[in-house]
Amino acid sequence: MRVILETKPRRKPKIPIEAEAITPQNFLIKNDIRVYEGNKERKLDEIFYVTTEGPAVSADQVEIVLSGETGVIKRVGEYMNAGRIVIEGDIGMHCGNFMSAGEIIIRGNADAWLGREMRGGVIRCEGNADHYCGAGYRGEKRGMRGGTIEVMGNAGDYTAEYLSGGEVRIMGDCGDLPGVEMRAGTLIIGGDCYRPCGNMTGGTCMVFGTAGAMLPTFISTGAEVREFCSKRMEMNVFRGDVANRGKGTLLVRKQ
Amino acid sequence: MAELLVKNAFVIDPLSGIRGEIMDIAIRDGKIVEDAGANAEVIDAQGCLTLPGGIDSHTHVCGTKVNFGRYMSPEDMRAGRTQRKGVMHVTSGYSVPTTFGNSYRYSTMGYTTLLEGAMAPLEARHTHEEFTATPHQDMLANTLFDGNWSIMEAVRDKDLKRAAAVVAWTLAAVKGFAIKLTNPGGTEAWGFGEDVHSIHDLVPHFGVTPAEIIETMIRANEILNLPHSVHLHCNNLGVPGNFRTTLETIDRVPDLNSRRQTLYLTHVQFHAYGGSTWKDISSKSEDIARAVNSRPQVAIDMGQVMFGRTTTMTADGPMEFKLYMLHHNKWSNHDVELETGSGIIPVFYSRKSLVNCVMWAIGLELALLTRDPWQCMLSTDNPNGAPFVKYPEIIALLMSRRFRDRESELLDPRTGHYVPLFAIERELDWYEIAVMTRAAQAKALGITGIGKGHLAPGAQADIAIYPLKPGELDPAAEYKQVMAGFGKTRFTIKRGRVVARDGEVVVEGANSTIWTKANIPPELDLSADREFVKKFEQYYTVRMSNYPVQDVYLPRGVCIGTEVSL
Repeated sequence: MRVILETKPRRKPKIPIEAEAITPQNFLIKNDIRVYEGNKERKLDEIFYVTTEGPAVSADQVEIVLSGETGVIKRVGEYMNAGRIVIEGDIGMHCGNFMSAGEIIIRGNADAWLGREMRGGVIRCEGNADHYCGAGYRGEKRGMRGGTIEVMGNAGDYTAEYLSGGEVRIMGDCGDLPGVEMRAGTLIIGGDCYRPCGNMTGGTCMVFGTAGAMLPTFISTGAEVREFCSKRMEMNVFRGDVANRGKGTLLVRKQ
Repeated sequence: MAELLVKNAFVIDPLSGIRGEIMDIAIRDGKIVEDAGANAEVIDAQGCLTLPGGIDSHTHVCGTKVNFGRYMSPEDMRAGRTQRKGVMHVTSGYSVPTTFGNSYRYSTMGYTTLLEGAMAPLEARHTHEEFTATPHQDMLANTLFDGNWSIMEAVRDKDLKRAAAVVAWTLAAVKGFAIKLTNPGGTEAWGFGEDVHSIHDLVPHFGVTPAEIIETMIRANEILNLPHSVHLHCNNLGVPGNFRTTLETIDRVPDLNSRRQTLYLTHVQFHAYGGSTWKDISSKSEDIARAVNSRPQVAIDMGQVMFGRTTTMTADGPMEFKLYMLHHNKWSNHDVELETGSGIIPVFYSRKSLVNCVMWAIGLELALLTRDPWQCMLSTDNPNGAPFVKYPEIIALLMSRRFRDRESELLDPRTGHYVPLFAIERELDWYEIAVMTRAAQAKALGITGIGKGHLAPGAQADIAIYPLKPGELDPAAEYKQVMAGFGKTRFTIKRGRVVARDGEVVVEGANSTIWTKANIPPELDLSADREFVKKFEQYYTVRMSNYPVQDVYLPRGVCIGTEVSL
């Protein structure tokens, strides 16, 4: 089944839409899906032109395509457990919260909190991601626990904060403090970043650009060669954060 | 003249000696009376279990440390969200909910009176402000004296009168209810980076021992004739092998009061560990229960641990630091000037952890092995052992051996080697549960005189009607119904008004705060004592005149005055 949702013109297009109900499993079982526009509950067809094509017997066979003014739509794919969502433009905050399986493809940019506390599945963002990409909720001990997030552009601050499983791959630059409080999993940064991996207790982070303002609590343990985008690069290997038991690994390209 | 008549109620009222009778209860102007007029509003209880309003004699729901728990755990606020509805405010949070969340959830469980377990005197204003925002329960505040410098100086000088004077002045100033000692001496030692490891260790810089502090405070409490006894959180909380400290403490309690216990030991589950490390921790509940059974001057509460997520918060700063060293999660420690300290840490009690399974078993064992239910009260030390919403589950566990056996299958398989729980056959009955959840609390807190915890004419009309029919229900087999029934009252009546119905809160509510004032002779009044005033001005960051809590913070304060016996 393929569900195409194209946004209708709205009188106040800046009012955000809370759309945690837009998940493949919901389209399989529910006919009456509601979203919130600001604090008003709306039927799906008040906000979107809805087109449904073909049948589906399981949520795996459901594909949702979002197009139009999608940058103000939040929480798309929250708790998603199967199927596929394709977003033709930008997407609002909290896309793919807690998703456990399936695939989300974003053709534009993603706002903050992309794939927060994700459990599994794949998110692929072809533009940039904002702050807290693949992070945990404020105060939560564990952030993303499984799955893959791939961002082809840049990401903001606190990327993969509290990462405790899975892989976050940022092809461009990151902002400040990527991988802070990381516990397990892998974070790959293709470009530059600042202060990576503060207080990390486990996992691996690789920076193939320049790591600015490296924290002094990392101990150099040698060098290694790693491959990134089919280029072999000489990497400095660090162990840390020694301020917190120091069981993580940070690799930074030799300049 | 608001009148209400509750008909066909299956009443258990232990303080009045009613062990389950179908009767009517008449209410006029918030008080229970002999009979109601013809115009009274009628509630048909249809033979459902009707008890006096529940009383929690040790919970942490208001005050600075609870609030710190709230703001260090934003993730906790994701759970338990309810929308605004009728008179109900928005609520959120699970282990440290908003004040209204606490109030509504307690109210739908039939609780009408709560004792905040630990209020730092210096931070009393905030506690009282949160009390007024907990509108469905009458509130009492245990006031912390464990590291009070003036008290420790009085103990060192062996000046009992002075200790009594400090207690009287402080309680009246901060509108507190009773004396709370949390790890006496230890919390103050922690201010200097140390701790005490037995009741005979010297507190650094003060030259007193916890045993002396406890003994002096017990005697000062009796001099002041306070309604409640000293409320003690023993030393060495959560340390394997700490049952020796607890037994030693219990052994030293004199029997000084015929109306109630002389010492109330709180969350004893955390103080009943054998072994020497976390690897060989075992249950010593049998030893503790034997000591309690042979000493009527002691009352305890369980401090039951239930599995799941919660937040620990206590004035016991050093213990929380040890917990932090185990969990390496976020933590907080706080020092309250010349008085006490505190610590807060989120925890997760897991069935996969042998230590947690042993803790879970000990709480239940204490309740089952203490012969007299008047001596062992039901509590989780909310939220330290578990949030109070788990009370119905604990009641069901105590009432049903089958439920305990079923739970045991889910635990770490080694648990049985370390605890006696699964050999205990006792199943508590409705009467004993009524004692453990309200009557014993009212007696222990000494608030039966102001009409709490019973349903005799003249008592406050705080009533909980549960959708349970004791005649038709076998709690040992149908424990799920027991759990559901105690979780949601059909009616909760507070001061003669229905405040919650079938789990829905129906009125805004307006509670009162109960505090004590000992009428001390003028020579013991510390506000005129030159030395005390001088020290106060010298060491505190606040002026003595700014220290007392003004009446405006207690819109509906109820003062219990006591006469001092010297």
